[in-house]
Amino acid sequence: MALHSTTLRIEQLLGAETSRILTRARDLRRDSGRDLLPTTLTPLDHLLAGGLPRGQLVELNGRRSSGRFSVVLAVLASATGSGEAAALIDLGDGLDPQAAAEAGVDLSRLLWARPRRTQQALAGSELLLHSGFPLVVLDLGNPPVSGGRGSEAGWMRLARAAAARESALLVSSPYRVSGSAAATVIEAHSARPRWQGAGASPRLLDALTPRLELKKLGGSPVERSARLVLEAGGGRRGGACPRPPLEVP
Amino acid sequence: MKDHRVGCVLVPLFPLAARLRSEPDLKGEALAIFEGNGNVARIVAATLRARKAGVQRGMTLAQARGLLPRLGVRPRDACCERAAQESLLEVAESLSPRVEDAGEGLLYLDLDGLERRFSVNGGGRESAEHRIGGALIAAAETLALPARVGIAGSKLAARVAAEGSDGPTVVPPGNEADYLAPLPLSRLAPEAEVVEALHRWGIRSIGDFARLPANEVASRLGNDGQQLHERARGLDRRPIIPRHPPPSFQEGLELDWPLVALEPFLFVARAALDRLCRRLEATGLGCARLDFALRLEPSGYDERSIALPAPTREEKTLLTLVKLDLERRPPGAPVSGFTFAAHPDRPREAQLTLFGPNALSPDQLATTLARLFALLGIDGVGSPRTVDCHRPERCTLAAYAPPPPPEVRSSPTARNGGGLLAVRVLRPPVALEVLVDDRQQPVSLSAEPAAVSRESSEKRSRTAIAGRVEVASGPWRVEEGWWTEDAVDRDYWDVELGDGGVYRIYRDRSSEAWWADGIYD
Repeated sequence: MALHSTTLRIEQLLGAETSRILTRARDLRRDSGRDLLPTTLTPLDHLLAGGLPRGQLVELNGRRSSGRFSVVLAVLASATGSGEAAALIDLGDGLDPQAAAEAGVDLSRLLWARPRRTQQALAGSELLLHSGFPLVVLDLGNPPVSGGRGSEAGWMRLARAAAARESALLVSSPYRVSGSAAATVIEAHSARPRWQGAGASPRLLDALTPRLELKKLGGSPVERSARLVLEAGGGRRGGACPRPPLEVP
Repeated sequence: MKDHRVGCVLVPLFPLAARLRSEPDLKGEALAIFEGNGNVARIVAATLRARKAGVQRGMTLAQARGLLPRLGVRPRDACCERAAQESLLEVAESLSPRVEDAGEGLLYLDLDGLERRFSVNGGGRESAEHRIGGALIAAAETLALPARVGIAGSKLAARVAAEGSDGPTVVPPGNEADYLAPLPLSRLAPEAEVVEALHRWGIRSIGDFARLPANEVASRLGNDGQQLHERARGLDRRPIIPRHPPPSFQEGLELDWPLVALEPFLFVARAALDRLCRRLEATGLGCARLDFALRLEPSGYDERSIALPAPTREEKTLLTLVKLDLERRPPGAPVSGFTFAAHPDRPREAQLTLFGPNALSPDQLATTLARLFALLGIDGVGSPRTVDCHRPERCTLAAYAPPPPPEVRSSPTARNGGGLLAVRVLRPPVALEVLVDDRQQPVSLSAEPAAVSRESSEKRSRTAIAGRVEVASGPWRVEEGWWTEDAVDRDYWDVELGDGGVYRIYRDRSSEAWWADGIYD
């Protein structure tokens, strides 16, 4: 109340030009871009106008080999790389720590939780959001999701927890699960992978090129898409030394 | 010369007060605390309701029950009394660095210099000392201990003053002898044999004794009598002997009957942990490690220790960890008593930065981790760590303790156009039936129907992998640990199936079985 009266008094003193002179601290914060978490994937950041919005539930859907898990690792790498703590609720139990480290994830800042059912995953995510984790990623693994889609109320509670703590919440699932709780929805469509070599010569996996389609942004429906290139790194064999294919006699 | 000031804190009926502190539900009941076994068991303290019915100290249990058939009785509990005494000492130590433990609800503290902290404008030394006494009583009350406080120039006068009224009693400096003079001789030292001799001489009050010539007293009653005479004259030369604070905070309870189920035990443990946390909070410390000992029926102890990720004084966190520990490793016998010992440490403060990302609150993180452990189990939560080997399924978990955030937030570097392709590991791997061509390259896959275990069959049904192989890349050989029984000898392929999925599959060269252990995603 005191702040409001002080603001009014300043406005009276300075006249109509006040709005150009005075800036609220929270507006400054918004301007500085801290409300977005860049994913380090340029096409995805362009789609999302800068990165994952903090304080909102972002849902990423896609079938197998649609690049969903690569996006998850990129987001975790971005957050932990800038010194923030992050949590991965891994319902599918699919994380390879070596691959995550190669993707740039700072493992010491990453909390890895491995629930068995969707209900546990939702409860764990809510706990982590309330404890102040700036980024929580909930990956539901491959279809069918163990424990079902979860209740609508559960997803709403999760979205509210993210909003209350201004945390970024990314839900990666094979199909739509969070309903109207998701403020932003992205669909990842798999495309034919790119292989090095042709014909009878030995092949080498070069890249996946999924298409990302933005369906909803900030609660409003949109239609935008971008092509993502996910290059196969040298360590994709899980730490084994990369070597040329053997000719089997 | 500056007057030396001593404070005395006394908890009347201490065995009863300690028991009521541990079992607050018994307040207002007719309850008596007894000492000894069988016919020699005697009442040592009783509640007001029991005293009104005639129950007195020194009665046998049978006598007391004859007066009050519905009298509740409890044995003296050394564990409860020790915890109550410790908490009383901690209250005093929050005000003065020099505190003497005089045992059984009695302590002395050095008040020199404290009056300046408690003095207010216009108030004299006496009013400041009244405020000190009031603060001590209030602090003890928060720990459910009804304390009385006496302040004087000597230990004896302070103790006698503490035995007086409920509020703080202050004896002005130099008035100790006058204050003590009208009091009966038994108040001087109730247990001293000298007092009995003086009674026989017809001396009834402290003042009568103080008026006797000092030399004559010394020649007839010896050294003890001389010291008692000095105290009667207000000259108590006994110094305060400060105690060494114990390394841990302890709380516990002897149970009236052994507990078998976990829930009732957690109910009584919660109250003990709550008291422990309040004591830690009063001293500004947190629990870095919780040791607890369970007394088992008919004999023996089960001792355990729980290390915390960060010092905490949240009772819920500690209770959850105790519950988890007991669920994981049940004691195997009924529990007839327990003791919790909290090893204290300074709580970690989150350092706020102006330009860097905010750190997680260590207290909140410890609580969250404890709740996640309860939800997902100890093996379900942690910080992932790489393992130095070539097996793709390798992984290990470490305790989650993130380093402090950097002072300046670094911007993540954007990858031009794309990112790194990740593999989603299949745990456990999915058994496959694979058709191969002349060059031993896979041409067709299908998930093997046979199930090894219930869990793995569940996971297999979730991960249906089948179809014609569009492109196969491989093999890459992974060979490791040939000198061990757990050797790995595999040929890996990357295969693209007709459904668009790209999988990582391998042939185990020792068993000739095929498996899928990852999906490029």
